Order: sequence, then C-alpha cells, then structure tokens
Amino acid sequence: MSIRTGVSFYSYQQTQFFGKMTWKDMIREVHDHLKTDGVEIIDEAIIRHYPFPTEEFIFDWNNEMARYGMNAVTMDVYLDVHQFRDHVMNHREAAERLKNDIKIAARMGFKNVRALCLVPTDVIEMAIPTAEKYDVRIGKEIHAPLPIKAGVHHGKIDPVLDPRMVDQLLELIQKTGTRHVGLVPDFGVFQHKPTDLAIAYFKRHYNPDMIDYILEKSAQGHSTTDVKLMIDEKFPGNGLHFMTLGAIAINESCARPEDIIEIIPHIVSIHGKFYHMTEVEGQPGTFEDKAIDYATPIQYLKEHGFSGYINSEFEGQRYCHDTGIENMIDEVEQVRRHHEMLNRLIGK
Amino acid sequence: MLDDYLIRKDSLQNVIENGKVTGFKFAVRIADYRGCFLSLVNGYYVQCDGIDYPVSLQRLEINQRPPRSFAEIKKCVWEHWDYDDEAFLHVTKEGGLADGLHVIKLQQSILAQYGYMPWDEAWVQNPPVPGGGAGSGKTDTISTFQLELQKQEVMA
Repeated sequence: MSIRTGVSFYSYQQTQFFGKMTWKDMIREVHDHLKTDGVEIIDEAIIRHYPFPTEEFIFDWNNEMARYGMNAVTMDVYLDVHQFRDHVMNHREAAERLKNDIKIAARMGFKNVRALCLVPTDVIEMAIPTAEKYDVRIGKEIHAPLPIKAGVHHGKIDPVLDPRMVDQLLELIQKTGTRHVGLVPDFGVFQHKPTDLAIAYFKRHYNPDMIDYILEKSAQGHSTTDVKLMIDEKFPGNGLHFMTLGAIAINESCARPEDIIEIIPHIVSIHGKFYHMTEVEGQPGTFEDKAIDYATPIQYLKEHGFSGYINSEFEGQRYCHDTGIENMIDEVEQVRRHHEMLNRLIGK
Repeated sequence: MLDDYLIRKDSLQNVIENGKVTGFKFAVRIADYRGCFLSLVNGYYVQCDGIDYPVSLQRLEINQRPPRSFAEIKKCVWEHWDYDDEAFLHVTKEGGLADGLHVIKLQQSILAQYGYMPWDEAWVQNPPVPGGGAGSGKTDTISTFQLELQKQEVMA
C-alpha cells in the first residue's frame, strides 16, 4: 500500500477566522477537490464546547465524516499548563488532560492524537492505559528545531526543547512494549532555507539591511548562535525576537532526510508542513516549496514501505496578515498545490 | 497573527447601565489558530485616544454571560472560549466616548502555551501585565485601530 494523503484543517485557519469555511466545508474540499480522505484537526479550533463536546456535535461530526467516507487520522491536542492559574499544572494533571483528549478523539473516530514536543515523557506514559483502552495512539511531534537523531547537526538556539526527545520516546516504547505510542514528524525538520514569505515579512517589520545581513551570514554557514552574536554587535538594540531569527537564519535542515528511515515503524502520521507553493519554472501546473525538501524524505518513505498519512499543514498565511485582506494568501489554493506535489512525489 | 483584525471594525459602542453611560465596549477575537480555556485570558493592553485602561477597568462578555471582571475570568478554569466566537471587551470610563473616530491600541494576553516553560511559576505568582508581548499570539505587536463610535445600546 502506498503513502496516503490528507489535510490538517490548521491549513485553513485564516479562512475559518473570517468565517469563509466551516469544518464541513473543509471536509468537502478534501473529498471533492483533493479526492482524498485524510482529516486532521486542531481540537480547540474545531470542537464546539471543548473539552465537553455535546452528543449532538459528536454525532454531527461522525455523520459528516461517514457521509463522505473520510478517515479521521489525527487530532492535535495541547498542553496549557496555566489552565488553573493558581498553580502550574503538574504532570499527573497534564496526563488527565491528555487522557480526556484521547477519549474525545475516540468518540470522533480519530486513530491518533498528536502530543506536542514539550509534553514530558512521563505524562505520555501515564496516559498509555487510556490510549490502549480506547485504541488511540499518542504520537509525539518532532517539530523544528528538533532533530530526529540528536547530535548530527550544530545545535539551534532553543531554551526548552531537548534534542534527545526521539530517543527518549523510543526508550519509553521499548520499556513498556506499548503499540500505542509513536511519533508525528513534521516536514519542517527538512526545511533547509528560509521561506520567501518570511523574509519579506521580516523586512517589513525590521531594518531590511539587518535582515539581509542575517541571510548573508547564515548562507555563509554560520550557526544561529553565531549570527545572533554578530547582529547584536553590528545592530545594537535591534529588538530582534528569538522566533524571528529562528525563522530566517536557516542554512541546513534540523534533521537529515535519511534519519526518517529508522523511525518509520513508529510514525503514526506526518505533518506535511509547508510555507509557500510556487510553480516549478518551466513546468506549468507543477508546484514546489523551495524551502523544504520533500522529494528525498518521501523517496525514503516509499522505499521503506511507509503506508500512513502525510497531512498537508500550511503555515505561510501568518506572514501575509499584515498588509491588508486583499494581500492574504489563498489557503485553499496552497493546499491544492501541495497535494499536486505530494501526489506526484508519491507516484499516485 | 491576524492582530489587525482582532477588533470588529463596526463594534465600538458606549455602554449604558441603569441609564448612565459607564464606559465603552468593542468585539474581539482570539489572535491565534485555536480557542482557549477562559481562565487563560489574562486581560488586554488597551489604550484609547492616548489613555491607558488597565485590566482592573476591563470586563469580558463571552458565552452569553454578563460581563465578568478578569478576577472572575481567572477562575473559569473549565469554561472555553471557542475559536469561532466573538467576545466583547468592556472598558469602564464614566461618560463613555464622544461621537466620532477613536484610536484604540490593543494587545491580548492569553496565557496559552505549548507545554512547560521556565517562567511558569513566576507567572502564577505575578501574571504578566498585558502589553509586553506575553500571550499576544504569534506576533508581539500592539495593533492600532481607528474606530467610529456606533449607536448606543441600552443595557438592563
């Protein structure tokens, strides 16, 4: 069986914000236009009255999915540790939230929940009995700047993420023998240069000379840490946000494409993160994301028999929100282009 | 992220309570791609015509309930602000706003996170003051809105 495709409704967030598409419209777009069946959602974007959805909502969801023969692949769940405000949620409480999310996912027919990179391993461990009981797998996300294998590239600045995350999760799987814990790699780990939309955005909001300087130094091979030191010296008081530098000082991917091979048995689904699909020069109707390597990892996934879902996850819209509604990017069209590329690379 | 669209342009109104104009209000959305537990809404940086209005003068009207102070909102640990929904932010200002255009500067502070962070305990003891970027969403800008005061609405 070949690789399957779907869409994370995260991709349509701006369209949803402006009330132009409901989740039912999104399901129809995936079914009618993309001719595929994979659906991924953000729990707190789609589920009315989360975390206590009504029976009516659940039935409406399941009915609509059944109507079009869709497959509820993964529900992305969160960890807001300040929910109680009078104390930081402890790990046992975090596990309770995850367990409740698993139960909601099961009621909506989802096979997996996506847990964030920062969810502690022991929280996932405490939720395993619930995952097994409801037959919903917990997939921990491998999101940039995390690598798949620790120590293969120079470290990127990050105050909280542990680069050994994947190893820690594989140890948990080995220790418990569970089949209900796995990984959700995000294609952002194969981003090897900044996207043009981010460069344009940050040039509108910071000194364009400084942005050019960052791009130049980064392209020369300097690490993010070094670039930070350089700009602090050359542009004192630059006010550059940590996230900004992380988005544009990119000269190599966090993960090596070949590192995906070893984790294939543990992948529950994949986030097909992308920023900007543009037409391949001289090939009308053929699209690519110039900043992210899709061809190499997909080749490895095919060669090693991955038959799960890659769900399109468009994230370029946020770099187009500052210059008027008329200049916002068409999320529906971007996802259609992304699916053209996925289908072509998968060989459908 | 969508910060310039957080206030609905035709939503600025004076608030009349018991026959007196007690302040003004406008409709707000969440500057993110998901909803949040209501308790996480830590208030707003609000400036109107050059005057700052601290959180103690703000109330949030959401989920078909009367406006609640942020001291009350903080306790709503199981209530959710769904992503598609609009809330009204009420600001106490005796006499309200004059007719015409007003310049409002706004930044939300919603303490949503992707897991544990080094500042967690500090935020429980001393929640961030809105306006510094904490909880502002994907961007840390303060957005500026030029809004025309709409017809007044009588509240019970």
